Amino acid sequence: MGRYIARRLLYLMMVVLIITLATFLIFYVMPPGDPAVAFAGKTPTPEVIEQVKIQFGLDKPIHVQYLTFVRNIFLGDEYGWPGLGFSFDTRSPVKEELFTRAAVTMQLGFGAAVLWLLVGISVGIVSALRRRTMVDRAAMGFALFGVSAPVFAVGLFALFVFWQQLDWSPGTGYVPIREDPGEWLAHMILPWAVLALQYAAFYARMVRGNLLETLGEDYIRTARAKGLSERKVIGKHGLRSSLTPVVTIFGLDFSLLLGGAVLTESVFNIPGLGQLVISAVNRSDIPVVLAVTVVAALFVTFMSLVVDVIYGFLDPRVRLS
Amino acid sequence: MTQERLLEVKDLKVHFNTPDGIVRAVDGVSFKLDRGETLGIVGESGSGKSVTCLTSLRLTNLESADVSGEVIFKGRDLLKITKEELRQVRGKELSMIFQDPFACLHPLYKVGDQIAEAIFAHEDCSKQAAKKRVVDLLGAVGIPRPDSRYNDYPHQFSGGMRQRAMIAMALVHNPDVLIADEPTTALDVTVQAQILDLIERLKTDFNVGVILITHDLGVVADVAQTVMVMYAGRPVEIGTKDRVFSQPLHPYTWGLLESIPHVDQKGTRLVPIQGMPPSLIRVPPGCPFHPRCPHRFEPCDKDVPELYDRGGGHPDACHLSIEDKKRLWNERERRRRKVAS
Amino acid sequence: MPSKKNLWVVALLLVLSLVAAACGGTGDDAGQVDTPDTGEVTKGGVATWESEEFAFTNGFDPTGEYLGEAWAVMTNMLLRTLVSYPHVAGAPGNEIVPDLAEDLPEVSEDGLTYTFKLKEGIKFGPPVSREITSKDIEYAFRRIATESQVAQYANYYEGTIKGLEVGKDPGPGGIEGIETPDDKTIVFTLTKPTGDFLNRVAMPATAPIPEEVAKCFTKAGEYGRYLISSAGYMFEGSEDLDISSCDTMKPISGFNPTKSQVFVRNPDYDQATDEYRQNNIDGMEHRLNTNTNDFEQKVIAGDVDFVYTPTPATLRKFVQDPELKQRLYINPGDRTWYITMNLAEPPFDDIHVRKAANLIMDKEGLQRAWGGPTQGEIATHIIPDAMLNEALAEYDPYPSENHAGDEAAAKEEMKQSKYDTDGDGVCDDPVCEDVLQIGSNTPPNTDMLPVVESSLEKIGITLDSREVTDAYTPIQTVAKEVPISIRPGWGKDYPDAFTFVGFLFDSDFPCTGNYNYSLVGLTEEKAKECGIDMPDEPIPSVDKDIATCVDLTGEERLNCWAELDKKLMEEVVPWIPYLDAQVVFGTSPRVTKFEFDQFAGHVAWSNIALTEVANE
Repeated sequence: MGRYIARRLLYLMMVVLIITLATFLIFYVMPPGDPAVAFAGKTPTPEVIEQVKIQFGLDKPIHVQYLTFVRNIFLGDEYGWPGLGFSFDTRSPVKEELFTRAAVTMQLGFGAAVLWLLVGISVGIVSALRRRTMVDRAAMGFALFGVSAPVFAVGLFALFVFWQQLDWSPGTGYVPIREDPGEWLAHMILPWAVLALQYAAFYARMVRGNLLETLGEDYIRTARAKGLSERKVIGKHGLRSSLTPVVTIFGLDFSLLLGGAVLTESVFNIPGLGQLVISAVNRSDIPVVLAVTVVAALFVTFMSLVVDVIYGFLDPRVRLS
Repeated sequence: MTQERLLEVKDLKVHFNTPDGIVRAVDGVSFKLDRGETLGIVGESGSGKSVTCLTSLRLTNLESADVSGEVIFKGRDLLKITKEELRQVRGKELSMIFQDPFACLHPLYKVGDQIAEAIFAHEDCSKQAAKKRVVDLLGAVGIPRPDSRYNDYPHQFSGGMRQRAMIAMALVHNPDVLIADEPTTALDVTVQAQILDLIERLKTDFNVGVILITHDLGVVADVAQTVMVMYAGRPVEIGTKDRVFSQPLHPYTWGLLESIPHVDQKGTRLVPIQGMPPSLIRVPPGCPFHPRCPHRFEPCDKDVPELYDRGGGHPDACHLSIEDKKRLWNERERRRRKVAS
Repeated sequence: MPSKKNLWVVALLLVLSLVAAACGGTGDDAGQVDTPDTGEVTKGGVATWESEEFAFTNGFDPTGEYLGEAWAVMTNMLLRTLVSYPHVAGAPGNEIVPDLAEDLPEVSEDGLTYTFKLKEGIKFGPPVSREITSKDIEYAFRRIATESQVAQYANYYEGTIKGLEVGKDPGPGGIEGIETPDDKTIVFTLTKPTGDFLNRVAMPATAPIPEEVAKCFTKAGEYGRYLISSAGYMFEGSEDLDISSCDTMKPISGFNPTKSQVFVRNPDYDQATDEYRQNNIDGMEHRLNTNTNDFEQKVIAGDVDFVYTPTPATLRKFVQDPELKQRLYINPGDRTWYITMNLAEPPFDDIHVRKAANLIMDKEGLQRAWGGPTQGEIATHIIPDAMLNEALAEYDPYPSENHAGDEAAAKEEMKQSKYDTDGDGVCDDPVCEDVLQIGSNTPPNTDMLPVVESSLEKIGITLDSREVTDAYTPIQTVAKEVPISIRPGWGKDYPDAFTFVGFLFDSDFPCTGNYNYSLVGLTEEKAKECGIDMPDEPIPSVDKDIATCVDLTGEERLNCWAELDKKLMEEVVPWIPYLDAQVVFGTSPRVTKFEFDQFAGHVAWSNIALTEVANE
């Protein structure tokens, strides 16, 4: 197990290296415009551009830039560890901003995840057990809507209804929990719900399908044959098998989400990672784009490791070796 | 030996409603089982033998099935008792083991725990006590080092061991009836023999009634006292093993017997039954077997032959007269041996 | 400046066509400078504003910032310069007035020496809280001269102020042309008479900066989060900045470059020293919001006070609803939109073709393509009228009825061209076929294109148009040899025509990042350097005219620029100017007094007022 995790961590490093290299090449070698020119502003004289390049290390050969970048990630830079650089746009170290943003995205993602797991799984179970009833049809119709409705449309619609028309929601924006927990919650509920909707719908369909499939398995018949109550048959034997694959999907979904719930954050004006990276891309703020990419890649690969380890515990057939 | 009637199935019918039409999986089955008796139910796939047994324990998908008839188990109709009463019966008084031991154990739970669960389903019992009982049982069904095997997962067991575990699970409460649905089909030959042996021994030791479902008459020959041959959801011949094997009455049974390889009759030609089993949605009119029967004659495609005892407690469902049957069977036997020699 | 706002403007278009329809084409109220009539104003309230960005970079360092919206905040709320503007709309808003200085400076006879006396009692805000001295202004210039600070408009000072060269920080007294004989006196010595020098020392980058704070920040733009105020407001939390050493300084809490800026009153500010800033509001909060629709809704609902150039849908609401219409303000943007023609590329190397193109162009159609009169008035020359005191308001060298183009006159002009061999007023030379045109792939360019194409076709010019995302890069690269583009627009840096004609037609342009798209004054050397061929026709130069105007001041200067504008329009003809752009603001009902800052082209934060309700 220890060796397995060590090997996976090594693999994780490699993934991060490859991702950073790709991102680095995309943004520095094939940029739509010279970042230094963009940065130089109104009068991009050769002298100004040269100065900008020196300041951001853009004058060095590309491989030196990349190695410096990688070294900073692992060893830290003048702003501490991990060294994520200095933003072209905000003219501040990227790290602090990034972590603040990540925390916000984490709150958004975590709340939404709790919601969508609760709703998605319970709807999925009810739907499977009441198969072909009105309840099932209604739930699956709703799920189809949830899966196919674009987040921004749902978000704008939700804002229109709950904020502009009914005034139940305080609207867009984000209030730190430290400042005012009540306001924080009030501002988070709608984004949570909107973000959770799509996933809940997807999970409901997935759980329903898994559970129906499981209930057709021979071992469920065995469980009945040995005299277990229906509650135990479904609640223990059925759910265990239907929910185990959900763990994998959830791990992936959740980690991808923490790379930034871009649309939700934009619609609700929540200052998370997604919003940060969008504005960074718009403003050619490459260090921020790179930093977010690295952090998101790390997170995704790390989560996939966590998921694999957990899966190993949940499903004895998967050997961790 | 005093005979105690354990199970009596009367005119059981199981019809499934499907989009393609009504599937008459079981269409009028009756049989009896006494304590200490092994009933072998034989037939090709789709002959309704598994459905008959699963339905006895209400393990078929009843939502889409029309079930009629009675399944009298120790005086109660299992098709009518409440769910809770039924649960009390399942696994305690009436146990079942299944064809595919690979699929019948939950892959995510320890084998030992799954067996222990069967104990807890019917009695309050400390975990230690349950575990001890499971370990003993695992030993009893011939699993080596049952102590450590308790904690294994199904995928760590071989096929035969899984089937032994299933048997152990079926036996935790010392049931009155054990239904074994193709218990050896998925296993290789040596293991088959061991499992059959085990069932045979248990029957004697625990004095249970066993229903052994199989498509293989050879298996029945080894362990059963009574044999019921099924075709297209109906019994076509019921009798003691000796009579069915020595003086079979139904042409379908003849076909089955001719398709068993006999170790003692070297070079015997194996004669497969011509044609395919019928669709259970469109069962042929008259005798369902007539399209495949080499001896069919005028009434066979019109009148359904009743299961009818012509004496000797050996009923069958065929329009042929008893004399014709004897003559035809003897002819077939002669021809077969001739080819062999 | 080719504006970052272009996208916005472009987005406006769609709406505006609808607006224009709604307005029934009267356009009367569209063009007016709209300043509400207010007697008494209320003090207090915190103004709120949401937008997608703070500035060009979100660093907010005065030395490295050049977008109007940032200048508006800086010059109204944070920074006082030696001289400044009155922070009002229209021509009065472009007048130079003393700010830190007691009065306008003494200028020597030769126009080379400017002596400013500073007012007493003006202090930096917390935590510096000390009297501002001439050294602090000198330090601002040292920063401009420090290469690593990447000053955005050092070109206005380098070569103008004696000894100011961009390179390493010259240190105190290191710039020969800036002397500080005492704490309250600063003397500039110039290399040449510079008529708009006062405009140049009204720029935010020249505002005093306390060296004890700013010296800690060596990277361009980094100082923005530690900005020390010299005007009526400051970043909230400024007082908590620990300036005892560089290491103890943590960014001021009131400014998060990716989130918000919160301004509160500066306790060290003395209103008595300032006649042009009323400072009615108690503070301002500027929040970034990625959801444009969202913040526009908030303005309509009254939760947010200002929206700059609303999107089409929102603008439509503002125009159509009588109550909302009261809250819509339209002001001159001091920006000209034009079609540029390349003097080195056929067929535009022939002045008759360029003139004919000006005559034939359906400018009214172009204005409609932009969305009608709300977007701006039809331009008939280069410099926006508000910057010439309306001197050329009636001037139109290429007149036509309703500005719809004059086909007869255009053909008459075309006949004189070498490309019209049979003299029928229609170009018949192959160079007129499929002339490469580069425009943007978004409105209004896409809506303009049919108008431009059908106009030019009448004189025999057909276009091969490419619609791209970034049209500026190719047309700013001389070697790309783009003959014509409908993309460009230009806005002033400060209200002097130097930032138009002095900058845009200088023959000493770079080969890439060039703003002289028409290549006015192109020389053999320059052509060679940039890798293009010289055309057969001579290329006119206005370098001498620029040099003449630069020296002048006052009325003379204004007239000089006006004359140069005329010369350009008649003898050089590099452009087809078509729109004198306007700036649109929507406000919440809380805004009882709106004021437009003509210099910055944005809200005059120091002169607006809110209702008292705002003080919750």
